[in-house]
Amino acid sequence: MHVVQIVVNGLLLGGVFALSALGFNIIFGVMRVVNLAHGDIVVLAAMTCAFAFGSLGLNPLLVLPVTVIAGFLAGAAIHGLLLRRLPGEIASAEASSLTLTFGLSFFLAGSGLAIFGGTFRSVPYLTGAFQVAGISVPQAKLLAFVAALVLALLLGLFLRFTVLGCAIRATSQHVEGALACGIDIDRVKTLSFGLGTAVAAAAGTLMSMIYNLSPQMGVEFTVNAFTVVVIGGLGNYAGCVLGAIVLGLADELTSYYVGANLSEAAPYVLFILVSLLRPSGLLGRKTT
Amino acid sequence: MKRFVLAAALLALVVLVLAPLRLNGYFVNLIYITMVYVGLAYGWNIISGYAGYFSFGQITFFGVGAYATGFLMNGLHWYWMLAALVGGIVALLFAYPLGFVMLRLRGPFFAMGMFGMAQTVRVLITATPATGAGSGLYLPPGSDVTSVYYWTLAVVLGAIALTLWIDGSAFGLRLQALREDEQVAGTLAVNVTREKIVAFMMSALIAGLIGGGFIYFLNYIEPDAAFSSRLDLQSVVMTILGGVGTVWGPLIGGVVMTQIAEALWARYPQGYLIAFGGLLVALLILLPRGIVPAVMARFGTADE
Repeated sequence: MHVVQIVVNGLLLGGVFALSALGFNIIFGVMRVVNLAHGDIVVLAAMTCAFAFGSLGLNPLLVLPVTVIAGFLAGAAIHGLLLRRLPGEIASAEASSLTLTFGLSFFLAGSGLAIFGGTFRSVPYLTGAFQVAGISVPQAKLLAFVAALVLALLLGLFLRFTVLGCAIRATSQHVEGALACGIDIDRVKTLSFGLGTAVAAAAGTLMSMIYNLSPQMGVEFTVNAFTVVVIGGLGNYAGCVLGAIVLGLADELTSYYVGANLSEAAPYVLFILVSLLRPSGLLGRKTT
Repeated sequence: MKRFVLAAALLALVVLVLAPLRLNGYFVNLIYITMVYVGLAYGWNIISGYAGYFSFGQITFFGVGAYATGFLMNGLHWYWMLAALVGGIVALLFAYPLGFVMLRLRGPFFAMGMFGMAQTVRVLITATPATGAGSGLYLPPGSDVTSVYYWTLAVVLGAIALTLWIDGSAFGLRLQALREDEQVAGTLAVNVTREKIVAFMMSALIAGLIGGGFIYFLNYIEPDAAFSSRLDLQSVVMTILGGVGTVWGPLIGGVVMTQIAEALWARYPQGYLIAFGGLLVALLILLPRGIVPAVMARFGTADE
């Protein structure tokens, strides 16, 4: 395969990774919670879309709003009913919320297995490819890429220009400061968690068009999003896009040059390396 | 109260020692599996409970111990207990460089990094023909449940003794100090790097010794079983149910949960994931400190 072709594939993949990681990053930015159930929400949305396409013949772009709304409600419920009620810390500061989302991840994976079974599913929609100067651009990947970029842009505009978006950014910058400005922190957190999972659900719906997925694969997408966010810098939304492109390229390159056997470990190795070498991200500021 | 507990513990010990002689195979297997989980929970409790480094990949050392034991038995034809002992030591030695690197990570980075480490080792072994790859590593035929049973009993008793010592020692206090605040502990002349690596190696030793017995018990091991994230989840749930960072928490939590885990996993894998995942969430909200501290508070017999 041509190197340019691999790079194009990596870039297209990066778009969807970026959307998924944005959802993860909003939740971390506002709440300092690493949501280990993130990937399971991505995969559940993908399975829902594949099921709707396979059994009901629904267009994935029509399913998208449904999974996004469901994702928002689920996320708001997870925060409102569970995370908000965590009584305190066990052992160390972040351990409580981390362990809770770890449990939630298995819970969602089990639920996905019970509902959809263990088989791999995808959406065979737009299976053709454009040929541009000897490079083939699969239509489904292009559509997912464009849709992911549009959604990421909408999210960016929302965070930048709406009152609620400002409240979210203020809370992620300084909780006490935001509180002093009259922001209802609790409500912002619930909304942000809902927003983060809604974005994850959108990413999952788009991923069903380019990946063959099963309900047990959630953890791979969690690591994926975590890695992207670490590369881009925790809480840094622009860095997310850069991180996603790096990861998309790494993913395509390793599966081509190293082989599918070993490339399964690539996201984990990359995560460990980036966490060790650049804990504040490629664009991140040094924090103490 | 204290005398009663001591008598109960002695009685339990006598029952455990005599069990393989009197009980039928089903119960011996059940007790063995319970001890495996309890042992893994004790291992997890040292690095995550006492030192506060929540790891979602301690199973790495279980797998390393199991594979090392298998190699020693197949390649050098060692007696299995000697192989398993050295397998545990291999896990301990592996934890030294690994801890040196991984323990630089904190909180969610360490937890997820260790998860990734377990997966990476699993993928590497699956891709290596010399380890039997995905189909697993087979031992020479012939296994003896009774000897594995006593081996694992000894490891669990050793893990309890080690935890008892940690709980009352200056080393344990240093671990708890770095758990509460690593920087402050550092300024109080606690060599945080050394202490947490030692705790990490202790955790690894216990998991490795248990893994060495496990491969002999099954007579083979495959990468998916040796580095299973399900076993990690189980250690976490059991320890939190019993009480994180307590001496008896892993024992109580492990004994209670193993029966449920075994019944569910064999018949309803999805149900198992739902039940254990959901239970972990519920525990964190309803009983975050676990059974042991709750009982201590009720009867007014605090540790100190």
